[in-house]
Amino acid sequence: MSKKNTQKNSSNKRTQKTNKKKQKNQVTTTTPLTAWINQHRNSIKFSSQRLWLNPFSTWMTLAVIALALALPTGLHILLKNLSSVASNDGENRASTISLFLKPSVTAQRALDRSELLSERSEISSAKLITKDQAIENFKHIQGFKEILATIGGNPLPHVIAISPDLSVIAESGQTIEGFAKSLKNESDVDNVQIDLEWVQRLRAILNIAERVTLVIATLLGITVLLVVGNTIRLNISGKKREIEIIQLIGATNHYIRRPFLYEGVWYGFFGGILSLVIVHFSLLFIVAPVETLAKLYDSEFVISGVGIIIMLKLLFSSALLGLAGAWIAVGRHLQQQSKRMNR
Amino acid sequence: MIEFKRVSKKYPTGQLALYNVNLRLDAGEMVFLTGVSGAGKSTLLKLIARLERPSEGHILIGGKTLKLLSDQQIPSYRRNIGFIYQDPHLLDDQSVFDNVALPLKIAGISDDEIQHRTQAALEKVDLKNKSTRSPQMLSAGERQRVGIARAVVNKPTIILADEPTGNLDPKLAEDIMNTFAQFNELGTTVLIASHDHALIEQMNKRTIVLQKVEN
Ligand SMILES: Nc1ncnc2c1ncn2[C@@H]1O[C@H](COP(=O)(O)OP(=O)(O)O)[C@@H](O)[C@H]1O
Ligand SMILES: [Mg+2]
Repeated sequence: MSKKNTQKNSSNKRTQKTNKKKQKNQVTTTTPLTAWINQHRNSIKFSSQRLWLNPFSTWMTLAVIALALALPTGLHILLKNLSSVASNDGENRASTISLFLKPSVTAQRALDRSELLSERSEISSAKLITKDQAIENFKHIQGFKEILATIGGNPLPHVIAISPDLSVIAESGQTIEGFAKSLKNESDVDNVQIDLEWVQRLRAILNIAERVTLVIATLLGITVLLVVGNTIRLNISGKKREIEIIQLIGATNHYIRRPFLYEGVWYGFFGGILSLVIVHFSLLFIVAPVETLAKLYDSEFVISGVGIIIMLKLLFSSALLGLAGAWIAVGRHLQQQSKRMNR
Repeated sequence: MIEFKRVSKKYPTGQLALYNVNLRLDAGEMVFLTGVSGAGKSTLLKLIARLERPSEGHILIGGKTLKLLSDQQIPSYRRNIGFIYQDPHLLDDQSVFDNVALPLKIAGISDDEIQHRTQAALEKVDLKNKSTRSPQMLSAGERQRVGIARAVVNKPTIILADEPTGNLDPKLAEDIMNTFAQFNELGTTVLIASHDHALIEQMNKRTIVLQKVEN
């Protein structure tokens, strides 16, 4: 064109570069794969830019997603912690069966009995507390010394404290109660007491709480889907003209869909990260009172935080929810549009 | 290359825009389409680009009837057509460069090549020095040229232009026509709707006159 000459000097360098490109072009054509990669790279760039373009609405959306995700995640972690108390790791002294021996049993016989018991596979440990040890313990308790003195002698029996191996018992098709009953039939045993009821109660409660968490997680998951879907829908309606124009130029539905899908994934993913931050700080907030409580019960219980598995699970599912929300929103728009075209 | 067989187009409003049109363009031909306003020039071009569908008759492109084109095939079909709209349909929130580069991005072409092809197209319409501007900052004629650069950047096999010189001064109009002629010489089929009779005469190409349908 006419003004070409004035342009030539300033763009000299580019012209050289362009010439080199031209030679290269003859060898490198755009294969479907490289085209696909280029398109994806562009939509990743484009969609993430779009999030930064309107920081306020982006943060609002992320906050809503994060809060919705934080509740079930936090509950889940709490329940996991509690069920570690209810599980039988030995460490938590969660379950004990106390065998009260008959008064006539001697200390030596009681010791033999406890050693014999500890060899059984259903029992992970058996510890003898002799009547002498027991009375020593009682003497330390305020007021008992005097009571014992008035009674005279030692009224207490020998006790064997048993930690059952719940998994072995379960494998052999027994219940813990059945097992305890069978111990009562052992010779020398006077009485059996299971210290397990609270664990079972806790388990039953945890089962309910787990279901409740699942319901909450499902409902809030749907919320995330709807929030992302609605956000994307709004973005689409702001880009109607752009979408129409690039369709005129020959953009496929995939091409139009792609940046919005990435946007949905970003919302889910970053919302998930934000929710992990919220959960983390909430846990820090409750760690101190939980530890105090645990100390009262002489437990070594330490609250465990957001594990890597939970983290990955959460981020994966939140990104997936974002993707699904975006998919629905774009799909609906494209469907309506093609209906209009094919009237 | 392009063939209309007894094509009629009635819009949903009941407006009959084309009635019983027969025409034929050979591959590599450059043809002008004239007719009074409302004769159906724009409609005819839109039918070729499959932006509208005929109510009657058949349109054959390269021997294949457009009717058989599925929804999935339309985008790749359109990428073979450079359409210059009466209103250039530009994205005002993107630069001139990005507007022109759009067809290449859609095709998934690498950034380096987008750079060089887009610059080349902008050079053809003499807009190289305004590539970073927003289209909003351009005159009507310049916007029209951005639309032209975008239409030719991906080297389409068919160029359809709807009054491409309507907003241009005579000198620039002639330049643009010469650009089309250059593409045509390289084998591109070109169909231009225009009522600029002086320019049509000057270009000395086959001219099809559309008669307005009397409803
Ligand atoms: N989308 C539309 N809906 C209804 N009528 C239309 C539409 N587009 C064009 N028309 C009508 O069809 C006829 C042909 O229009 P058009 O193809 O734009 O003619 P030209 O481009 O030759 O001026 C006109 O009467 C116009 O009003
Ligand atoms: Mg028109």
